[in-house]
Amino acid sequence: MEGDERAFRVALVTAELLNPPPGGLDALAVLEEEDWGVIQLPASDYPEEVVAPLLDQVAEQTEEFARHGYRLAVVGCHDGLADVLARHGVAPLPQLDPATAEELRAFLSTGEG
Amino acid sequence: MAGVAFVAHCLLNQNAKVDGGARTAGIYSPLVEELRAHGWRIEQMPCPELAFTGLQRFWAVKEQLDTKAFRRHCRRIAQAVASAIEAHVEREDDVVLIGLEGSPSMGVCVTSSDEQLGGRPTWPEGSSELASGRGIYIEELAAELAERGLPMPRAIGVSHQLPDHDPAAERAALAELLEA
Repeated sequence: MEGDERAFRVALVTAELLNPPPGGLDALAVLEEEDWGVIQLPASDYPEEVVAPLLDQVAEQTEEFARHGYRLAVVGCHDGLADVLARHGVAPLPQLDPATAEELRAFLSTGEG
Repeated sequence: MAGVAFVAHCLLNQNAKVDGGARTAGIYSPLVEELRAHGWRIEQMPCPELAFTGLQRFWAVKEQLDTKAFRRHCRRIAQAVASAIEAHVEREDDVVLIGLEGSPSMGVCVTSSDEQLGGRPTWPEGSSELASGRGIYIEELAAELAERGLPMPRAIGVSHQLPDHDPAAERAALAELLEA
């Protein structure tokens, strides 16, 4: 392996935190500052038949990162995520539903993520 | 009309790249800045190669991935993404697609091609595998949308892995796509 610029840190982020309303917490900006990559969770405004296959893809990809020892965390709350991750053999991940950028930054940097 | 950009997975997660391919620690910020500046919603597509050939995959050209099994895998992802696109089309949202030029899977106008490459994984010095055309996943997504009677969204590929990458030109092309 030759290595590159990656930071080996991946956050599973709710679509609502990734696409915040005006004035809302911009999780993407914080994750970029803290050198995390992102796997987006399906948006809550999609019908269930859209969410389920997308969530299955999230779990498959997360399992690959977990298997290779990447640091993983969940940012935000997404119904059904824990179950689908468990079905794909991914152990429970550190999780935070942040209210502020400072709270998210602390979570990402303390090693709890 | 709201705008929704379906973007290649690695543009938000460079950790998904083949080893040696990550240009940033995690997020490719020029794309995010441009989408935010124009008020577009971001929707990340799954990476076709990550879950199929894994994080320890070799660099590959399109011919090496172009099997029925990989196309079935791409089609499964395309069906999931097409359903999301369909939901936005029904809401009359403006939808664009942002892939990755030079990718055997996610190329929009430029993919990688070499009919001879195979066997022991060496890469001849100075070889240029770039070729005009779509990557396999983009082909499968276009086919899935066509079967559903949905139009192919306006599309562009981020060019940061091409040898003649011009950041200013890339930003201008993104802005033009989003403002069209």
